[in-house]
Amino acid sequence: MWKGINTALLGRHGYNRQIGLRKASRARLFKEYKEVQREKVADPDIQLTCDDNNIFKWTALIKGPSETPFEGGVFQLAFAVPEQYPLQPPQVRFLTKIFHPNVHFKTGEICLDILKNAWSPAWTLQSVCRAIIALMAHPEPDSPLNCDSGNLLRSGDIRGYQSMARMYTRLAAMPKKG
Amino acid sequence: MSKRVLCKFFAHGACLKGENCEFSHDWKAPPNNICTFYQKGICAYGSRCRYQHVKPSQSQSSASSSSTSAQQSLVSDPAYPPHPSCTSSSGVALVPVALTELSASSRPFILPKQPAWKQECDQHEFLDDDDVGEPTSLKPADRPICSFAAAGDCPRGDKCPHIHGDLCPTCGKRCLHPFRPEEKEEHLRMCEKKQKHLEVLKHSQEIECSVCLERVLSKPTPAERKFGLLSECDHPFCISCIRNWRNSSTTSGLDVNNALRACPICRKLSYFVVPSVLWYTTKEEKQEIVDSYKAKLKSIDCKHFDFGNGNCPFGTSCFYKHTVRPGSYIWKNHRPPPRKPTPRRSDAVDMDPFINRDDINDMAGLLEDDMDCNFPDDDLDFDEDINPLNNLSPFEMAFMLSQMGFDESDSSSDDEFILLLRGSATISVLVSSVLGFILFFSLPCFNITYKPTSSLSIEHGCPVSLQHAYRDGRLEEVVLRHLGNEDGQTVIAKHISCARIDFCAVSALLKYAG
Repeated sequence: MWKGINTALLGRHGYNRQIGLRKASRARLFKEYKEVQREKVADPDIQLTCDDNNIFKWTALIKGPSETPFEGGVFQLAFAVPEQYPLQPPQVRFLTKIFHPNVHFKTGEICLDILKNAWSPAWTLQSVCRAIIALMAHPEPDSPLNCDSGNLLRSGDIRGYQSMARMYTRLAAMPKKG
Repeated sequence: MSKRVLCKFFAHGACLKGENCEFSHDWKAPPNNICTFYQKGICAYGSRCRYQHVKPSQSQSSASSSSTSAQQSLVSDPAYPPHPSCTSSSGVALVPVALTELSASSRPFILPKQPAWKQECDQHEFLDDDDVGEPTSLKPADRPICSFAAAGDCPRGDKCPHIHGDLCPTCGKRCLHPFRPEEKEEHLRMCEKKQKHLEVLKHSQEIECSVCLERVLSKPTPAERKFGLLSECDHPFCISCIRNWRNSSTTSGLDVNNALRACPICRKLSYFVVPSVLWYTTKEEKQEIVDSYKAKLKSIDCKHFDFGNGNCPFGTSCFYKHTVRPGSYIWKNHRPPPRKPTPRRSDAVDMDPFINRDDINDMAGLLEDDMDCNFPDDDLDFDEDINPLNNLSPFEMAFMLSQMGFDESDSSSDDEFILLLRGSATISVLVSSVLGFILFFSLPCFNITYKPTSSLSIEHGCPVSLQHAYRDGRLEEVVLRHLGNEDGQTVIAKHISCARIDFCAVSALLKYAG
């Protein structure tokens, strides 16, 4: 049934191509999985894990970069990898609440060019994590998803932004004491 | 000479004798496919043997029935006269025809430590009995080179009737004929070339594609085991990966020039991809690959050009051959036929925020005139006694948005503005109510409404110089919202942002009052 619909929509060739791409993305994710297992020690800031049942679902724990309001926090990211993966960017969002101009406060959606129009298949999930850490350290207030945070920065209220961000880091991204 | 039987070494691409080989180097020649060991009754492979198991009597009858068969040619071959003595020396009673054939064709197979041989007959005896006395009368240059010595070890040693070649420095085999300088030269040249090829191949074997993260030459199908060379940079990819990436649809919002046509690693723009089995190490090698590829394409007729009947979109820079056939359109009119209109992409107009900017501009240009006349300057006046903390009027909202979009002159603000419009349903409704007259344009066109609003520039005269969208008191709302969110643990934010709130609220009030 499902196959029939696909063939009807895409034609024989398109359907075969889709199957091929799915295989390719699986192979590539498997490669990345092995790479992650091997590099686990190399990058202590990123802990990338794959869903046991679905290789297209990943989660990552990243440490907030030092000398930022996010220092000391551990943020959880959810990756939803599309079937055309290396050709299309993974969808990443924060599961942990974060006050950052480029992260949607409610949904956790991330506004990062490499996850949208500047994606390149040479990026890996690991490097995407690294890019997100870099984004946390260097917010881009000119294209805000969280307007409140973006406007604090744009109006030059660095202190206000930092205190808000630190508060949310402490509230959401740090283990509760006691 | 048994020129009509296919040389087995040649079949594997490894005959060292070249022109002087006794066997045929013509692919059409029938191969000799009969297991001689079976005929002696000692084939160790049994049913797994890759040669035909034909009984001696059968082979004789089949040989005699067809005059062109390999066996027959062997029998009539003067170089290998039947040796009646061999029959007795080897101690196996065989039909003479089968034995001659056995001794002639099995020669290349002799492995010095083949146990099956030792069971039946002595190696040296067997080797000697087919060639003894034959080459002694020949000149040194005509004597063939010994293939056993070339392969590494000649069991006959000094007594060998063939010439033991000189050591080739590249391949390390004794395969240089001391009395044939041309052959020697050629071998050396070929050997060096092969060696180089091997080295390049070895080097290429290690290279990984950055898209699939696999070694390019370890891919499952031969079609995938090719590199895709980008014209402008030196990053390796498999041909299928890079082509898939460059062909992937623009619906996903990827930039054609900044992402798809660029190298995934260094983002250098390349206009074409060259397939190659080998990876290059130097600029010259790359140029060679590219040139040979282009030369190959140049010999293929362009399907767009269609011998002068079509219009090739690549024009004179097309890689394929453009031949004008007499009687075609170009032949008659001396210009290419008009291009067929390309079907407009259906994905160009949708609610995607990363819509193709050209399309937006096209459509905005169409609408602009209408928009401008519907936005007279006096509409820009603010309702001065509005309380900034209350809801803003729809038009103000739109104006503020336009202000936000205006803060940057770079192109990213356009995207941002669309995003804003998209992000909040209420705002989009408000804006659309302001621009009510364009409501009938329905949603797909709605994206482009940013154009007319942003064309209401500041120079039209703004009553209050709004530096920032936040100076109007919304910051207070923001902080209050955040404070209300997390009750009880809000000291940090409250403490720091308090002064800010006051300042903003006051300044906003001041602005609106005066």
